[in-house]
Amino acid sequence: MRRPLGIALAFVVVLAALLGAPPRGAAAPEGTLTVAVATFGNERWLPNLYVGAEDVVLKPMYENLLTRDPKTGELAPMLAERWQVLDGGRTWKFHLRKGVRFHNGAEMTAEDVRFTFATIAREGSANSLAPEFRQIKSMEVENPHTLTVHFDKPFVVFGNKVNQALFASCAFIQSKKHIETAGEQNAERQPIGTGPWKFVEHVRGDRIVYEAVDKHWRATPHWKRLVFTKVPEPATRMAMLRAGSIDVIEIGGEYVDELRQVNVRTLLMPNVSWVYIILGGQWPTKATYDPKVPWAQPDAEKARKVRLALNLAVDKQAIMQRILGGLGTAMNSWLAYPNDPWATDALKKPLPYDPAKAKQLLAEAGYPNGFDTTMNLTAWPGRGFLPDVGEAVATYWEKVGIRVKRRPLDRAVFAADFRARAYSGVALAYAAPLVAPETWEVIFRAGYTKAALNLFVEHPKLDEYIDRLAVQPNYQERVRIMRDELGPWLSEFVPGVAIGAAHTIAGVGPKVGEWPIIAGHMGFHNWEYVTRK
Amino acid sequence: MWRYLAGRVAQTVVSMLVVVSIVFLLTRLSGNPVHLLLDVNASEKDQEILTRALGLDRPLPVQYGLYVRNIAMGDFGNSILTRRPVVEHILERLPATLELGLVAMVLSVLLGVPLGVYSAVRRGGALDGAARVFAVLGQSMPTFWLGLMLILFFGVILGVLPAGGRGGPAHLILPAFTLGYFTSAAILRLTRSAMLEVLGSDYIKFARLKGLHDQVVLWKHGLRNALLPVVTFAVLLFVQFLGGAVVTETVFAWPGLGRLILESITTRDYPIVQAGVLVMSALYLAGNLFVDLLYSWLNPRIRHHAA
Repeated sequence: MRRPLGIALAFVVVLAALLGAPPRGAAAPEGTLTVAVATFGNERWLPNLYVGAEDVVLKPMYENLLTRDPKTGELAPMLAERWQVLDGGRTWKFHLRKGVRFHNGAEMTAEDVRFTFATIAREGSANSLAPEFRQIKSMEVENPHTLTVHFDKPFVVFGNKVNQALFASCAFIQSKKHIETAGEQNAERQPIGTGPWKFVEHVRGDRIVYEAVDKHWRATPHWKRLVFTKVPEPATRMAMLRAGSIDVIEIGGEYVDELRQVNVRTLLMPNVSWVYIILGGQWPTKATYDPKVPWAQPDAEKARKVRLALNLAVDKQAIMQRILGGLGTAMNSWLAYPNDPWATDALKKPLPYDPAKAKQLLAEAGYPNGFDTTMNLTAWPGRGFLPDVGEAVATYWEKVGIRVKRRPLDRAVFAADFRARAYSGVALAYAAPLVAPETWEVIFRAGYTKAALNLFVEHPKLDEYIDRLAVQPNYQERVRIMRDELGPWLSEFVPGVAIGAAHTIAGVGPKVGEWPIIAGHMGFHNWEYVTRK
Repeated sequence: MWRYLAGRVAQTVVSMLVVVSIVFLLTRLSGNPVHLLLDVNASEKDQEILTRALGLDRPLPVQYGLYVRNIAMGDFGNSILTRRPVVEHILERLPATLELGLVAMVLSVLLGVPLGVYSAVRRGGALDGAARVFAVLGQSMPTFWLGLMLILFFGVILGVLPAGGRGGPAHLILPAFTLGYFTSAAILRLTRSAMLEVLGSDYIKFARLKGLHDQVVLWKHGLRNALLPVVTFAVLLFVQFLGGAVVTETVFAWPGLGRLILESITTRDYPIVQAGVLVMSALYLAGNLFVDLLYSWLNPRIRHHAA
């Protein structure tokens, strides 16, 4: 929550959110809204089985305790009609809405919420929220509509973990009885939720079909059916949209001009993922640390000069323009997006493209003739542009004398090295989705394992900041820490090569009317509010 | 004949066992599915639990032994991702694959054989030249490019055919043509050369001397003999279509078996990859066996030689 904690203010937030909530669909649902996406993710449904990339296809069917106001981005009620943050963030009490029913007709209760949270935290859980939910010390069901969650340490941003999240980390509330009665395997075949769309059919790797829930408590969809179809080839998605067989497509920045030339409407989700080059090996306490890696050598000043040189050697604006089709904002900040209150002008300004200075810094760091390194060219789901970014950066580095070996590598093969921090001396392009409104939360879960900043650098100072932010209940103070301390420190430290924040776009067909989206959301969402033309 | 048949079946079983072993090893070498199933921040313990749950903690020979035993009992296991039986997934995709493969093969034969025959008969003429251009284009145009161009022209510009996906018969036309064009060109060339050889043979000359009508000589005596390699090729082609149409399936978003296997490779869903490749291999070997038997039936010399 972004306001000083307390019941009274929570009520104010609730009221404000209710006033700003999107309108309910008035007419009866009609027609089919067909959406083509590149991937469905892992195509798993239960809280301990889905990881992250599934959110686009899961969100229609499920709901969370909280959501976000599309206009202000503030936390707003969903399945919980109000909530209290007590004991400095050590206790969260959720008051559930009465009369909300799962798709099988059973009422959603606090037992279902407790079951969902416990399942996410279960050992062996694949859910990316598992580390956070394992912070839960205990849960109490006071009555069928009140759940209290206790933590040992203050968990000041727990509200961001139980909402209709910005990206994939979603604690979708599921039916305890359904999963326990049907068994996990059957519940996966016939999943149910409380959302405005109910499950009809899933053909792996081909389609997922939903049907509108009539008279849904929150928003009856405008469309009768919602069909997700997997079309891996972007050119085919474009053609299908233009031919009218698809209504919405997921598409990369390189196609945006083409879409506009043929008068196809585009929907922009600005600054939703953070693109950068990881410089592997900056983990001095790990067994895989290699002191010979130029950017991670024990001499901190020389190592920093190398990292700075690697930044100055790269024209970030050109990468944004040429590879991301101009759909992004080049910047130098870490953990800050252009519109964040902690993103000062100094943090936003990208480092200049200055190959001469880069060469000079490399010489000062003891590498007048450059050095050998490896650039992994690994594509990540939904971020197919990353190998191109890696290739461009490698080419820029070669211009200042660095010898770069390209290594195209499948994600599954690299993932083991990624987890084990066994890619010392290897660089790779990466794009972290905006997973929470406060960007430090991206390393919150990693912070607790002392492997901060998306696994690519560890530093006691960084852990100290995260530990402070994690327990600071005052939102304004957290903003101050990020703006005045964490942000400048990261900028000065230069942990990698910052490229900037990238946008996501959708191509939208002529049958689709209004589509209110929540700022910061990376994936498609709010299908129930999409109107017909 | 029965002895020959038994020998070929035994060869097929051994081949299948080799395929099974190679696929098992290659899938294990390609990366651990646990790394894709879990979040990058997952703990060591989470990884261990999932590895154990999937049976991947066992020594490789044990995994192999269990795998072969289960296959022998008809159990292909469950998908690592969906935990549904692999057979369900295969059966879900097989109709789309058979449909596309069959139509593409029929299209190939209907285009390739008549053009090949006329090209041979009108050797050096305008029709022969046109047919050869058709063949060169068919064999040199990349499938994905042809597919995209067809989508653009018929799906977007003219708007007369669906741009992708599976639905009614209209959805089949573009992917089947894309898949079939390349092979129709190959069939055309094969038919043409076989016909040229047959048309120059003594028994064709004799048939003409007998005063038989040209069309009878051409279609009854000529084509029937020239078709032997074409039939063989077409059968193997059909089997290849069943699993080798990945590019076409991807371009046209066609939910076939090839795409399922490809997607399962990228997600390291071992059981599906193994079962999918096994099905493809079984079909290929069965196709080969069928062709061999057909040959031995059509040409007794092969049967006698084997005996």
